[in-house]
Amino acid sequence: MSVRLGEDGAILLEGPCPIEDAEALLSLLLSHPQARVDWRACESAHTAVVQLLLASARLVDGPPTDDFLARHINPALSRPKPSA
Amino acid sequence: MNEFIEQFLIEARELVDQTTDDLLTLEREPGDRARLDGAFRGFHTLKGAAGIIEFEAMARVLHAAEDGLSAVRAGEQTITAALIGDALSVLDQVVRWLDAIEASGGPPRDADAAADSLIALFSAPTAPAAASAAPELWLDHLKTRHPKAAAAARTALIYTPAESAFFEGEDPLERLRGLPDLLALELIPTGEPRPLDAVDPFACRLAFAALSSAPAEQIAKALGVDQARLTLLTIDGGESGLDATASDILKAQLRMLAAAPAEGLAGRAGSAARTAASVLLEQGRDEAANAVMAAFSARGAAGLVTALKAALEGRSISSAAPDTAPAIAAGGEAAEPAVRSLRVEVERIDALVRLTDELTVLKTGLAHLATLAAGGAAADTLAEPLKARQLELDRLVGDLQHAVLHMRVLPIRQVFQRFPRLMRELGAALGKPVRLIMEGEDTEADKAIVESLFEPLLHVVRNALDHGLEAEDRRLAAGKTAVGLITLRAFRRGDEVMVEVEDDGAGVDVARVQTVALERGLIDAATLSTLSEAEIVDLVFAPGFSTARTVTSLSGRGVGMDAVRAAIERLGGRVSLESRPGQGSTVRFTLPFTIMLTRVMTVEAGGQVFGLPTETVIQTLRLPRQEISVVGAASAFAFRGRTTPLIRLSEALWADGAATSAGDALVVAARAGDQIVGLEVDRLLSQMEVMLKPMEGLLSGMAGVSGATLLGDGRVLVVLDVGALIA
Repeated sequence: MSVRLGEDGAILLEGPCPIEDAEALLSLLLSHPQARVDWRACESAHTAVVQLLLASARLVDGPPTDDFLARHINPALSRPKPSA
Repeated sequence: MNEFIEQFLIEARELVDQTTDDLLTLEREPGDRARLDGAFRGFHTLKGAAGIIEFEAMARVLHAAEDGLSAVRAGEQTITAALIGDALSVLDQVVRWLDAIEASGGPPRDADAAADSLIALFSAPTAPAAASAAPELWLDHLKTRHPKAAAAARTALIYTPAESAFFEGEDPLERLRGLPDLLALELIPTGEPRPLDAVDPFACRLAFAALSSAPAEQIAKALGVDQARLTLLTIDGGESGLDATASDILKAQLRMLAAAPAEGLAGRAGSAARTAASVLLEQGRDEAANAVMAAFSARGAAGLVTALKAALEGRSISSAAPDTAPAIAAGGEAAEPAVRSLRVEVERIDALVRLTDELTVLKTGLAHLATLAAGGAAADTLAEPLKARQLELDRLVGDLQHAVLHMRVLPIRQVFQRFPRLMRELGAALGKPVRLIMEGEDTEADKAIVESLFEPLLHVVRNALDHGLEAEDRRLAAGKTAVGLITLRAFRRGDEVMVEVEDDGAGVDVARVQTVALERGLIDAATLSTLSEAEIVDLVFAPGFSTARTVTSLSGRGVGMDAVRAAIERLGGRVSLESRPGQGSTVRFTLPFTIMLTRVMTVEAGGQVFGLPTETVIQTLRLPRQEISVVGAASAFAFRGRTTPLIRLSEALWADGAATSAGDALVVAARAGDQIVGLEVDRLLSQMEVMLKPMEGLLSGMAGVSGATLLGDGRVLVVLDVGALIA
């Protein structure tokens, strides 16, 4: 499991985050509506995981270690969401 | 005004509103297939309505707009701001006509001129070159977000994966990661925005727009996705041929027009048109200058905006794949919109009418008894007839429930019919020829179940194809036909609906399942050795299990069978897998016929009445206190030779926890998944069948509760979800 709740209350994405993590991430997002998301240790993320981060409209602490995610996905997640 | 016209006006206005909404969303999210289809349907239905009231001019205009959208649906044209603007102008005109009809009671006579000028909007740009010269909204979006990347880009693309992509083992981002010379990437959510708690994590609702400096052919090859899901545009010669100042001035005019209040718009548009035209003339773009003035004089501010955008874009874009197959045709796997209306057989309506009659008679009978009671009739003389009426009411309500529930059913065909085509594609992708047999498509099930069945079924079918069926040579060696056989079957058994996927492949490799389960740490060797063969086979449903030896494009990655089990359990069903070594395997979904009627057992805890679904209750027992062992803060008791946790229901629910009574504990042993738990309650009440309503609003996210229903005395009965209680 690469999605977990950190000791400081943030939702942490670490290492590779395959699709199996999507459901766990969703339930954490739902059960912790105020929690920050931190994906700085994330090495890869399935589209389903990224999609949830986007849908959650939370500001995400980044960038992740992976270059592709850092360059192309992180900006979209750290951008303030319109009216969400 | 006649009733017919009145009805027409109501419906037409609704359709205009809905279609406008679809068009506007489409403008923001050009990749949104559902909205495109919605807008298309809107025009189509309006056209039909216009035909019925014999308003020929309106039907003609709507037909033109429908054609415009249909070209987009077929992939012949891309969605442009101009097209959306034109379609909205048509709706504006329709509203004016509707107002006229409302005032005069019939279609206006002088509508043809207005109709013709609108139709001209759609008939003009039919040549593909002209169509592709119009600005692409998503491209605009990319260029504004990534101006530097846009300058260096040679190719722009938009990729819209199927909603079921994840179930097909796709990871679209993983594909894009491999894109050569990727410069910029934007994620575009598709479909309705939903609150997080309504999000299906396994439905792909994203489209991807990207810029790359590699040529289009190379990108198409590297991405390797279905052509119909991909639009590639070659960007040549950089920008519009305007210098930076000129394009800044044009952009400023656009901003000014967007910000202008409605009443001053005409005047400002005039000055904007003149400014833009002289800038374009100065840049040597005489043609564009003329186009801007012409558009303004013909269509005012709206035309001007379109022409300005086109001028800014120049003729810089040409479509690299003008003949892409229609995405919608390839979208056999795309999620169907939920069925909003139901077709109900006349007999079923008749049955309801009969029931209503009987209820009316009963009502009259009760009124008579009420009069007798008010007149001072003795209780014992009333008891007998009251009891009789109550029994009759009982029967009628039962019949009524039955009749209403049967209106919510759909044939399983609705799901099955999507598989033949899908199977061909999957079979071809894997190089495994396969024959599909479908049985019992007429079997009916609750609408909600039928609509949720597709994804789990797709996953199982895909697994059967990928892991179940052997390769051709192995099949021939085993004395089977070269072509594999997959059977989709549905049938009714009592109150349950069975849906099966059967293949004639090799069956489940039990030894392999054991190895994998151990490797993945799903189970320890000691426990494994105690399991029966069927129990071992069942391990494929454990989270994190996947037996693919080689990772194929279809499965081996992506969602496991555990997701299938979870999806079916959400519907109140069960999944089982039966394997016949060498002969094949069968996955069976056992689903409730309806998800609305639930048998519950009611209990009291902390002064509150709660319902427990009967299917979770194993046994009720009276437990002497000394048989309860206290382990730290928790309690446990021995049930059928196993130590079982004991939970005080009132405490678990934060109800007023009365002090532990000294007498025996009343315990309900309940099952959640494969776990058994004892729930201590204050009183056991009764069993009943209830129409369970899911929690709404504030309570919808409440854990441990699966729904609520009204009790006879007006109290609300909260029905508990035992699994969530112990989690």
